[in-house]
Amino acid sequence: MNNAFLPIALACAVALVSAVGVILARRPVHAVVALLAHSLCVAALFLIMAADLVALGQVLIYSGAIVVLFLFVVALLPHGGIESVVPTGRVVSAVVAGAALLAALAAGLAVGAPTAPENPAGGVEAIGRSLFGPLIVPFELTAALLLVAIIGAVAIWRRQEPEPGAKASSRAASEGSLAHTADAPGATGRQRLLDEGGPAR
Amino acid sequence: MNAESLILATSASLMALGSAGVLMRRNPISMLMSIELMLNAGNLVLVLAARIRGLVDGQSAALIVLVLAAAEAVIGLGLALALFRDRETVDVDAAAEVRG
Repeated sequence: MNNAFLPIALACAVALVSAVGVILARRPVHAVVALLAHSLCVAALFLIMAADLVALGQVLIYSGAIVVLFLFVVALLPHGGIESVVPTGRVVSAVVAGAALLAALAAGLAVGAPTAPENPAGGVEAIGRSLFGPLIVPFELTAALLLVAIIGAVAIWRRQEPEPGAKASSRAASEGSLAHTADAPGATGRQRLLDEGGPAR
Repeated sequence: MNAESLILATSASLMALGSAGVLMRRNPISMLMSIELMLNAGNLVLVLAARIRGLVDGQSAALIVLVLAAAEAVIGLGLALALFRDRETVDVDAAAEVRG
């Protein structure tokens, strides 16, 4: 792997610089673009390390899906999501904590330089055997994880929306005088109570 | 310094940068992006270890971590949007009702 030292150094440098951009950019759009550059550099590193399938997954899932999802959410934010000024004490404590973590990791990794063999094991077939062999349980659990994530995201979103059926029936029951409360967040519970009492009136 | 040490050093720096970002930012979107940085650092180490040991299990674990990152992004962004819709602000410090 040492014959590809220059591309590796370049990809590492760009990945680090864009990571600094991610955590320092004030506009979330700039941070998302920096995250895109970062994930592409990491994919290049995977490719150099002969991990073709992981590089493909990185480009498809990270650069393709996650970054675009971030872009959509940033576009939905009020004022483009620009945050207020971060207090200096918080910046200082974050830098100190990051430096401490870096020192701890460096101390742990300083045991010696690893070297890779020149003919790497790999290939899609070997990864398939590994995923459906020793790693079958975590691999199958990701299916349940994705399903739960989808249901959870829909539930988080739906909980805040006024129910269209409740809104219509309450408007019919109370001649529209109370219907505007359904537009306020958290009004669905009240609205449901009104609906249950509606026919009795 | 050989290439493997360089990748290890990059990964450690990425992890430190991501943790500093999570601690520093107030915008939940930026915090999520810092978490993605840390997941990328972990993936780099996994793939490098697979390369050094000559086993592919590290690459399979990196693929599983990719799926995990996707699920985390979906839930995190849903929560962030719910927060924005509830209080029209981009500050995680504003959500403090549960504080005792």
